[in-house]
Amino acid sequence: MKKIQETLKFSIFEVFEKMFYIFLEPLDEENIGYDMEAGIRFDGCLKGEIRILLSKDMAENMIQNMLGLEKDEITSQIIEDCTKEAANMICGNFLGKYDSTKVFNLSIPTFVQGRSIRPVPKILKDKISESGEMNITDIATDEKDWCMDFGSDGGRVAVIIDTKGSV
Amino acid sequence: MSFNVLIVDDSISMRAVIKKIILISGFKMGQCVEAANGKEALKALEDNWMDVIVSDINMPEMNGFELLQSLKEDDFLKHIPVILISTEGSKERMRDAFNLGAKGFIKKPFTPEAVKQILCEVIGESNEEDTGDTEVFDF
Repeated sequence: MKKIQETLKFSIFEVFEKMFYIFLEPLDEENIGYDMEAGIRFDGCLKGEIRILLSKDMAENMIQNMLGLEKDEITSQIIEDCTKEAANMICGNFLGKYDSTKVFNLSIPTFVQGRSIRPVPKILKDKISESGEMNITDIATDEKDWCMDFGSDGGRVAVIIDTKGSV
Repeated sequence: MSFNVLIVDDSISMRAVIKKIILISGFKMGQCVEAANGKEALKALEDNWMDVIVSDINMPEMNGFELLQSLKEDDFLKHIPVILISTEGSKERMRDAFNLGAKGFIKKPFTPEAVKQILCEVIGESNEEDTGDTEVFDF
């Protein structure tokens, strides 16, 4: 699981920096609220789902940076599209780094917002040590979920990976 | 000489980004047509001559590989260079893409420079406009 976590973190940072010009920092807060969610399933030598949860201001920030739009030009359609594309890029980037010799099949991303957002499962999270370095919490060998919250000046994002059923 | 480009991606944001990168990279772009999947792309090609196609792989209705296959089977369209652009960057996927006739492959996430470089390789640097040394692009 540690390889999955480290690889996924690297992919999250890379996608946000290259595509959205946003530099994320891990957050160590509980019960953070989010406004929308995109999910994408993957299948191959590793199976599961990645979910991206965003606050509205993070989604708007991403769109403004990527497309150069003003805030009043951002429509709900663009927010949905951009959130789904972020999930697609993080998932594809992660799987390519996880094993570039294997082919993975990705689903078409889904999008929900408001009350339709699925609850974040009760799972172990990364904790930040006093020195500011990331520590991976001890995780039971059968633990297949992982979640981490990130923030920047422009909002918050959480990424959840569920690899239940992986081979 | 300007070139016509067909951008195929189910994401409107990604189509807008690719179009913007082509414009800020200084290429002389003529017509830019957008399509949300392979089927729409083939329909667009009935009415428009394109010099290059930039296509995503993972799309509903008809994906990028199926589009490549359809183009390859068409004597009129098979010579149009296709650049695939995708999050799926496994070596096998890339080999499949080139075997099907793709001329370039861009992995997402990408930088504007990476897109420009592949476009230069595929359509030639002669299509680049002299944008001057001091122009600043709002990207």
